[in-house]
Amino acid sequence: MIRDTFFIWRQELKEVFNDEGVLIFFIIVPLVYPLLYSWIYNNETVREVPVVVVDDSHTGLSRRFVRMCDASPDVHIACYAQDMDEAKSLVSRQVAKGIYFIPSDFETRVNRLEQATISVYCDMSLMLAYKAVYQTAQLVSMEMGSEIKTKLGGRYTSREEAIATRPLDVADVPVFNPSGGYGSFILPAVLMLILQQTLVLGIGMAAGTARENNRYKQLIPISRPYQGVFRIVFGKSLCYFMIYALMGTWLTVVIPWIFGFPQLASGWTLLVLMFPYILACIFFGIVMSCMVKYRENVMLLMVFVSVPLLFLSGISWPQSNIPAFWQGVSWIFPSTYGVRAYMRLNSMGATLGDVATELRMLWLHVAIYFALACAVYRYQIYLTRQDALSRLHEMKKKKKRKNLEGTK
Amino acid sequence: MKYLRQIYEIGMRELLILRRNHMYRFCMVAFPLLTMFFFTSIMSDGLPTGMPVAVVDLDNTSMTRSLAQRLDAFQMTRVVARYPSVAEARHAIQENKIYGFLYIPKGTTDNLLANRQPKVSYYYSNASLTAGSMVMKDLKTISTLGSAAVGQATLRARGFTDEQIKTLLQPIVIDLHQIANPWGSYDSYISTTMVPGMMMLFIFLISAYSLGNEVKFGSSKEWLAKADNNIYVALLGKFLPQTIIWLALVYGYEYYVFEVLRFPHLGGPWMLILLGLMQVLAAQGFGIFSYGLMPSLRMSMSVCSLWAVLSISMAGSAFPVMAMDGPLQSLSWLFPLRHYFMLYQTCVLNGYPLLEAWFHFAGLAAFMLLPWLVVRKIKNAMLTYVYIP
Repeated sequence: MIRDTFFIWRQELKEVFNDEGVLIFFIIVPLVYPLLYSWIYNNETVREVPVVVVDDSHTGLSRRFVRMCDASPDVHIACYAQDMDEAKSLVSRQVAKGIYFIPSDFETRVNRLEQATISVYCDMSLMLAYKAVYQTAQLVSMEMGSEIKTKLGGRYTSREEAIATRPLDVADVPVFNPSGGYGSFILPAVLMLILQQTLVLGIGMAAGTARENNRYKQLIPISRPYQGVFRIVFGKSLCYFMIYALMGTWLTVVIPWIFGFPQLASGWTLLVLMFPYILACIFFGIVMSCMVKYRENVMLLMVFVSVPLLFLSGISWPQSNIPAFWQGVSWIFPSTYGVRAYMRLNSMGATLGDVATELRMLWLHVAIYFALACAVYRYQIYLTRQDALSRLHEMKKKKKRKNLEGTK
Repeated sequence: MKYLRQIYEIGMRELLILRRNHMYRFCMVAFPLLTMFFFTSIMSDGLPTGMPVAVVDLDNTSMTRSLAQRLDAFQMTRVVARYPSVAEARHAIQENKIYGFLYIPKGTTDNLLANRQPKVSYYYSNASLTAGSMVMKDLKTISTLGSAAVGQATLRARGFTDEQIKTLLQPIVIDLHQIANPWGSYDSYISTTMVPGMMMLFIFLISAYSLGNEVKFGSSKEWLAKADNNIYVALLGKFLPQTIIWLALVYGYEYYVFEVLRFPHLGGPWMLILLGLMQVLAAQGFGIFSYGLMPSLRMSMSVCSLWAVLSISMAGSAFPVMAMDGPLQSLSWLFPLRHYFMLYQTCVLNGYPLLEAWFHFAGLAAFMLLPWLVVRKIKNAMLTYVYIP
């Protein structure tokens, strides 16, 4: 039995390295894609979003507002426009992503002890640009506001001024990914998804090739080593696991290290998470691969799932707001739990105890998909035997007929 | 006339192929519809509401309690727990129970009444960016309001008028106009690029797949013979039925999101029709081109799927292209979805004239014409290649 297992393992390894289609998904994509994605998101935040200013006030105060916005890290004052029409045409040509409109009575109103208004018009096609344009204006207006307040108040000490303008002080404390970087937020999810998707695609493709190369379009050959379910599943899994132990290290240890993404989990915790995750993905892939008749079909079936899976993991859309039906669907995929656990361990410094639910679900996946994988291979063996028997039967019949014809 | 008849006959043959192989039924009907349903239903709230937050109230006076109650009344947040310490609340974030919390230290009310400027803090997790920034908005508003309420009381006691109090509390007001999407809805912003991106993925794959299958199942010579070995007629006849199916899907989706769900679109219906047509033709062009470039079914399909998945990031709808490195900004031109997104946001979302996005219009047109470069290679492949698994 053990000899057979290793025979299948060696056979599978040979197939993987001889098949360029499988090689692309097992080696090249996991190696190159993380680099590409890290490069795309490496700048993390949107800086210097271009904004156009329409300054009808032309006063020291309005110019000060514009200067302070320009000095902020997120906004860059690209140009001044004479009126709103000109500003609008600049936005439509993508020269600017927003408009600051300062009305003519801006400083007059401030001096009269009336609320002054600054209108901010945002192009809503990019959420991050909108946030930069709006939040900068808000911050600058608050900063200027507190300066004005101290001037208006007429108090004795600066401490008194500070308290009068702000009786209750407020501290803003972003925890975990404090810079709000986009890459640090999305990449952990992307890395884990790449792991699952390439595994499933590769396994599916290898199975498709095996079937197409087989004379009778069966998934497994009739030869002796392929007579036991466990040796097939173990042999194949061992081969995939060896490759993905390396790929997993590359994705979860080396890539974050190269690009300096948050990495709070220790090697041991990562190991505890990745072991069941890779196993669950392998067995999941084996189950999926039995549905593949032709090698290319697996791409048609699995590639498009990647993007919805990213949303189901609860990274970009809050998990608390995913409708119950889709929550249920997300339970099928190991990536849902893999992503959640990895993100919390790695970006939030959670302990293994905090992600116990996810780990338990992953082990449950391992068990269920292992059982399913055995079941589908059991069925494949049965099919192969049936097929061979019927072929034998056919051949015997033919022989008999020939003999009969010969005796006539 | 002869050409028209040939095209019609090849089209009929293609319809038969589409009916016989059920992969087509999945990838041209079932999966696209599923994707459309997925994206429009998962974010049907538009903005996330009732996200779990907590309060760490060490002061526990009527004033701090009312602050917590008012936070609960906000639409986007729901106070689900009260923790006795910051450490425990922080742990709750790590356990995925809450997205943020408000921390009110002991003695806040006393210090406030005694004019000693106490400090409250709000903590939020940016590990999930959307949730973090939404929760932050409400936490910030409630803390600022708390501060303003006290200031208001003091100023009123000193005899200022309401107008003056408003000015003294906030001398400069920002009047925000969210052009074209005044609700800031996430649904209308994600579903309008993700779904077309996924549609392009299907069109890429199916275009390459249907060409490759002619070689794989050895029917390519018969196909070309029907067109008298004229590859243009053969391609037109083969892809016309597919184009019609794709257009039906794309227009159906546009009708659903822009007319039924009422997503914002300032550009008129003609712009939507043009955009849908460009989307389908450009994607088919890319699919056929990639097969022509590498006339091997698995290579071309791998390239198509890798390109399509990358294009969702390179479209720059979530993380803007202008924030990426210089080389990537130029590389983004190689992705049809990038041009589609720019065309969509300029001409449909904001309703500016087509002239403002001429470059991206030309980009999509270039993708449509790409197959022209490789027709010879495709013909050669169809006539001479043999499929090797």
